[in-house]
Amino acid sequence: MILLWLLIVPLAAGPLAFFLRRRQLMEVVNLFAFAVLLCLAAALGVRVLRSGPVSVWDGFFYADALSALVVLLSAFVALVCSIYAVGYFRHDERSGVFQEGEDLGGGRAINKLREYYALTPLFVFSMILVALANNLGILWVAIEGTTLASVFLVMFYGRETSLEAAWKYAIIGGVGLSMALFGTILTYYSAHQALGTDTLAGLNWSALVGNASQFDKPTMRLAFILILLGYGTKAGIAPMHTWKPDAYSEAPIPGAAMLAAGVLNCALYGLVRFYILSSKCLGPELASHLLILFGLLSMGVAVPFILVQKNFRRMLAYSSIDHSGIMVLALGFGGPLGVLGMLLHMTFHSITKPLLFFCAGNVQQQLKTDLFREAKGGLIHSMPLSGGAFLMATLAVTGAPPFSLFLSEFTILRAGFSRGYLVLPVLFVTFLVAIFSGFLIHIANLVLGPDPGIPAAETCRWKKSSVVGSALVIIVMGFWIPAPLFRLIQGAVDIVVSGR
Amino acid sequence: MTFLQDPEFGDRVITLMAALVLVLQIAAVGQRWLVSSIRIFAVQSFLLAAIAGIIAYFNHASHIYIAALLTLILKAGLLPWFLERLVRRIEIRREIEPLINAPLSILIAGCLTLVGYVVAQSFYHPEETSVRAALGHNTLAVAIALFLIGFFTMLNRRKALTQVLGLLSLENGLFLAAISLTYGMPLVVELGIFFDVLVAVMVLGILVFRIREAFDSMDVSKLRKLRE
Repeated sequence: MILLWLLIVPLAAGPLAFFLRRRQLMEVVNLFAFAVLLCLAAALGVRVLRSGPVSVWDGFFYADALSALVVLLSAFVALVCSIYAVGYFRHDERSGVFQEGEDLGGGRAINKLREYYALTPLFVFSMILVALANNLGILWVAIEGTTLASVFLVMFYGRETSLEAAWKYAIIGGVGLSMALFGTILTYYSAHQALGTDTLAGLNWSALVGNASQFDKPTMRLAFILILLGYGTKAGIAPMHTWKPDAYSEAPIPGAAMLAAGVLNCALYGLVRFYILSSKCLGPELASHLLILFGLLSMGVAVPFILVQKNFRRMLAYSSIDHSGIMVLALGFGGPLGVLGMLLHMTFHSITKPLLFFCAGNVQQQLKTDLFREAKGGLIHSMPLSGGAFLMATLAVTGAPPFSLFLSEFTILRAGFSRGYLVLPVLFVTFLVAIFSGFLIHIANLVLGPDPGIPAAETCRWKKSSVVGSALVIIVMGFWIPAPLFRLIQGAVDIVVSGR
Repeated sequence: MTFLQDPEFGDRVITLMAALVLVLQIAAVGQRWLVSSIRIFAVQSFLLAAIAGIIAYFNHASHIYIAALLTLILKAGLLPWFLERLVRRIEIRREIEPLINAPLSILIAGCLTLVGYVVAQSFYHPEETSVRAALGHNTLAVAIALFLIGFFTMLNRRKALTQVLGLLSLENGLFLAAISLTYGMPLVVELGIFFDVLVAVMVLGILVFRIREAFDSMDVSKLRKLRE
């Protein structure tokens, strides 16, 4: 039953917000829905830990530790983003950003807000559906659903550049996902002879995973490559990453944060499910080699763009390309340690990334620019909270100790060495260091320095509380991981490594 | 009417129709009028629906009838109607000169068909001589060729609408692969996929319209502001 509620809550909140007329009501509905969602997600985690996988409707929806983890992360990201969104859009409304578009009617602002508050729950609904769908076809449908819901978020401001970004996102995403669909069809084909079923269960993950060793091997090989390209496009690994900087810099901040921290997990979740099938069918070598190749390539591509970046929101996108590369690489290293590193990284990345976006959003709304050159530095004087948090989030996201991403990156490094690789972990560390220095130089220049004399700002309680709240979570997680969360991650590692 | 029960007859009809689908796709590569491209897509989808219907008939797989019906309604009816309306509203009839000219494009499409056959060969298990296994083999080659040619069209064309058409013919290739390889995905999945295709086209249609409004053209090569 809990699985159905997890889906019903966001699905109901979207249309409900659409029929509301007042801004406050929409905000309340959104916040309430996502708070309930987070509680439900936590409850699901507890239940999976206590009594194993949960399923309803003859296994149409199914949740094991891996799905529960992704649901929990999505719900967390959705909640913090919606808290921030309240302050962010109020600021937008006051500063008249909505009025810059084609018509100057007074109803435009409320229509834009309605668009956001109605679409976001649907977007979150598709993310939750990705994790809960047992059927690999439905998984594909849900991932496509996240694209469709978020295209509107990317073109939210209706500028020429947002249209360009949305077009790129929709077309590249569409082609990528059609490859993933082809991969799904081929997986069905390769399983179909072993299972001998024509029914819905023929694509159910819980049915496939037990028989994966009998699948038709050449078909499965091609299927995995197509899936990697397809879901890799959605996760933004190089060379299919080109939509990412545009989409992240054009979407409103809460939407961009959800793309970076939520959709990324969903795409990787899809990839992991097929990784399990393909390594059971073909042995881990093929998948490992491809994943390592694409992972390192993504990290390598991110390095020069972060070093010479002029725009801080695009820089966040390259950081996200780098992180998806790290996770794919960790999966490629494989073994209990590599998979543990990947899932820890996924968890820590999801709690860290939103803060980075929030700070960037605060800075952008205050200075009305997202270029380093025009920002002039010295933000710590006018915006002590956002400036300080920006610096802290930068350290956290680039994996500096004591923040938690250091832990996961170190685990991945150990996994690399323990698999007997030598050059690859060294390359991994080199890229990390380069990205760390580039990122830190840019943000330090932005935050520190002499006071440029901008009047002090930061009065909005919503923006402040979301920044302080996620900063606290990051600091606490640096020193202490709640035991149930860690058990959930370990359960998910068992699923990926042994397929159970 | 005994030939109506003969699977070999079904195989021939399907192969013939798949060949027609491929010919139409190659014709679309050389086509410059938007309305003709849309109509070619509609006829192609109609043929696909017919292929699905025949496969359903000869394999007694009733759920494929639903897929066939959906293809007929959505892809051969609703989507072309929507796209043609869009073309009328934005008043652009012709594709500007594609990146690669028509004769060379057709040649490339031919080569991609060959690639399709080579890839399809690896799925062909001669030891399984049952008619059911052999029935869809040629069709698979056509499906892969459609997928590749759709991909090529998207790279080659610069109008937003022709890129959407490329994406749709790529989806047609997938549909053909799905029915010829496995006699259809489970029905729920197919419904989901159709729904997604429909919504995707609507979303892209809105985008095309907005691009046209903002840039006074649908030429996506004008979308060049976001650069490093």
